[in-house]
Amino acid sequence: MSEALIGVARPRIDAPDKVTGATRFAADGYVHGLLHARPILSTEPHARIRQVDREAALSVPGVVAVLVAADLPMATSGTDRTAEPLAREEVVFAGQPVALVVAETEAAAEDGAEAVVVEYESLPAVVGLEDAMVPGAPLARLVEEDEGGGDLESIHAGVDEGEQDADEEQLSGNVLDTVNRRSGNAAAALEASDVVLSGTFRTPWVYQAYIEPQVATAWLEPSGTLVVSTSTQGSFVTRSELARAFGLPLERIRVIAEPLGGAFGGKFALIEPLAAGAALALRRPVRLVLTRGDDFQATNPVSAQVTDLRVGARKDGTFTGIEARMLVDRGSNAGWGVEGITSLLVAGPYRWDAHDLRGYGVQTNRFPFGAYRAPGAPTAAFALESLLDELAVALDLDPIEMRLRNAVVEGDVGVSGNPFPTIGAVEVLERLREHSLWRDRESLPAGEGVGMAAGYWPGGNEPAAAVCRVDADGTMTVVTSAADMSGVNTGFAVIAAAAFGLEPEKVRVVSADTATGPYAGASGGSKVTYTVGKAVEGAARAARVKVLAAASQELEIAPDDLEVIDGVVRAVGAPDRSITVEELARKALRFGGRYEPIEGHGGSAQTVGAPSVAAHLSHVRVDRETGEVELLRHVIAQDVGRALNPALVEGQMRGGATQGMGWALFEQLDHDESGQLLTGSFLDYSIPVADRVPEIDTLIVEVPAPDGPFGAKGIGEAPVVAAAPAIVNAVAAATGTRMRELPLTPPHVWAALAESKPEDDL
Amino acid sequence: MSVIARDMAHRPESSSALSLVVNGESRSLEVEPRTLLVHALRDELGLTGTHVGCDTSQCGACTVLLDGLAVKSCTVLAVQVEGIEVTTIEGLSADGDMHPIQRAFVEHHGLQCGFCTPGVILTSVDLLSRDSEPSHATIRHALRGNLCRCTGYQTIVESVRAAGDALRDEGS
Repeated sequence: MSEALIGVARPRIDAPDKVTGATRFAADGYVHGLLHARPILSTEPHARIRQVDREAALSVPGVVAVLVAADLPMATSGTDRTAEPLAREEVVFAGQPVALVVAETEAAAEDGAEAVVVEYESLPAVVGLEDAMVPGAPLARLVEEDEGGGDLESIHAGVDEGEQDADEEQLSGNVLDTVNRRSGNAAAALEASDVVLSGTFRTPWVYQAYIEPQVATAWLEPSGTLVVSTSTQGSFVTRSELARAFGLPLERIRVIAEPLGGAFGGKFALIEPLAAGAALALRRPVRLVLTRGDDFQATNPVSAQVTDLRVGARKDGTFTGIEARMLVDRGSNAGWGVEGITSLLVAGPYRWDAHDLRGYGVQTNRFPFGAYRAPGAPTAAFALESLLDELAVALDLDPIEMRLRNAVVEGDVGVSGNPFPTIGAVEVLERLREHSLWRDRESLPAGEGVGMAAGYWPGGNEPAAAVCRVDADGTMTVVTSAADMSGVNTGFAVIAAAAFGLEPEKVRVVSADTATGPYAGASGGSKVTYTVGKAVEGAARAARVKVLAAASQELEIAPDDLEVIDGVVRAVGAPDRSITVEELARKALRFGGRYEPIEGHGGSAQTVGAPSVAAHLSHVRVDRETGEVELLRHVIAQDVGRALNPALVEGQMRGGATQGMGWALFEQLDHDESGQLLTGSFLDYSIPVADRVPEIDTLIVEVPAPDGPFGAKGIGEAPVVAAAPAIVNAVAAATGTRMRELPLTPPHVWAALAESKPEDDL
Repeated sequence: MSVIARDMAHRPESSSALSLVVNGESRSLEVEPRTLLVHALRDELGLTGTHVGCDTSQCGACTVLLDGLAVKSCTVLAVQVEGIEVTTIEGLSADGDMHPIQRAFVEHHGLQCGFCTPGVILTSVDLLSRDSEPSHATIRHALRGNLCRCTGYQTIVESVRAAGDALRDEGS
């Protein structure tokens, strides 16, 4: 085993193909006889479909078919997007697919789509989150949801649902789920506190904004197997969703996860049932590429939330009680929401004497909620870390010192009721405290400020497997079915190389499909390196056993006295007695060979989580005349377990922090009062651009995860969690004004500055 | 089945024969007059390294070089570029050797998912042809029209700087 390979910065193994244009993304592959599809999206947020007039569209040259719900061979009557890829009778958001034009060319499909006329009977639209909850409010969906949704909820973070709320609160039928996490008497703990602070925090719907729009291509093999080639985070979950949609046995479906052009939680079996339904109905290959405009309207961004939060502390800064009431806008997703996760994460990586945390999942006539990098966490951290920043001011304590006093360590029982596993909260905060930006924060020009915030992501688990094979040229191929969303394949290569004893350059990693690959869950929840990476380590070790057995016979030395280094098996202490892996593989892989192929299978079933903590510093300048917030510098410290490849780890840290800048300053999916999307393009919905993002310093903190491969764990989600509150706290430091609604756009900041006096008692 | 159109054997009625110079090669194709350059490159010539990320000319994933200038290929019609040298990401690496800018993006980790990367690289080629030692601010300004959702841009900026250094070394 070559531990020295771990922790070295190396280019991504997919980089050469990506910089030369050689990578085939899901919209790029050639399929014979391919048809192109264009959806007709509902223009009504809530309505009954009276009629779809297809005649004009069908006479457009090149149009092959115009499909409505009744034309798709659905096997289930549910109302989620898998069961109802096209609306049957009731549309529940503006943007919901109602019909699908299928044509010989994309241009013909577009022409056809313009000719389809849909007649609606409008129903009362439920747009406001709080209005939707009031008893007597109109219902956002009239048709009852069937029981038995898919697997989509469980594939994110490993979070237990809190107990169901015992209180008899009066709520409308739009409240689909309530969660209440309670321990001790939070009200009494707050009552006995020296300082109690409270506030209401609002965050908008936010869009994943992957640069590659959603795309799926479906066809039938002559054998009848349904093949779907798609941009997805999870091939197996997509396969099970398709099986549910069409009542097909798993073995009749093959899902190929193509290289992802960004996903961030938004690509979990969404448009595949529509493409597949069309292919099944027409018995021809069909490709559905969403335009960006359709992707904005018809996909699954992350929920708006309203959080009422109260926290208390003693004079010495010890936290006492925490109470939260968190409203989650699920939009038209009746199946699941983030009320469970967000009501867990709002307590942060801190100890509390007592807590009472409530989450409400509310349906409205907006898009169906979907996951976006650490779903439910940025909203929770925005509320908590904003109030903690105020708390430090009120108690006249250093904000980092105050957090350190309360930071959880391994064994502390969290609000989940379970003890925290190994967690680097203290180490991260201590590291951040040393940064010069923090030490020098008092000596800044007027209008500038530095803020900090911390947050964590619990990490997910799911059993996974991997296989590897050494070829006769001495190179290794590792096969998993994990979608490479964040560079995990590059990590797998170094894990396999280190566990086997090979140069990383000699390891290829193949992302297999559901027909050929070992099992892996969807890439989400920050679990791939921790779980699939562990399986890769096991596979490489198993192959190492084979190579040692062969070498032992060749060299007549016991396996225990052999080592494998850089592709050479040699006697420990007598390196001249050696044989190359390549030669052993050649001897094995031939007619009449005497050794088993040098291959291995590995699996993992992680049961202990591996949370990652990330803390941020933000340095801002606020223009009081315009309300514009300029980001001058950003620092992120994160516990990554063990950095398998520091360059890729830093990439995740910077990328996550930058998405947090979007949360803080730029991004909101806005509807008007009638439920029409106002920000449906990159003209209206701005994501961080190159000249608005500052230099980002990365501080890698390594507290090894005991069960992770070489101590590594999933790190993709933690860096987004507390970036926004660090920026908001920096704005407060610069101006004395506390903002409680994201994003901090110039008009919003300007108005808040005009209204409030510095450090106003809100 | 009433949902099926009668005209199954569709061919566009009015198509234009074009001769384009793409990546140094003369290519003949037939497209409808309304066909955008990006679709002609992808669908007719199979140059799928040019990506489509939006429909409002914001994202920059479809950026190509027209006579050396970075242009979003969704903003021009295919019929407009006759007589103009078109360079796509595939044309940047002659004979399989990466261009110094491509090498710099690999070595300096200037990409993650890679979807925006061809456009980012071609915009950078244009910038470096005019200014081989751009400041970080100049690079960031030049890349305003190329959206990246993965990296946070810093390693892209470092890659462009490093590419400029490499190109100057090559030239000297």
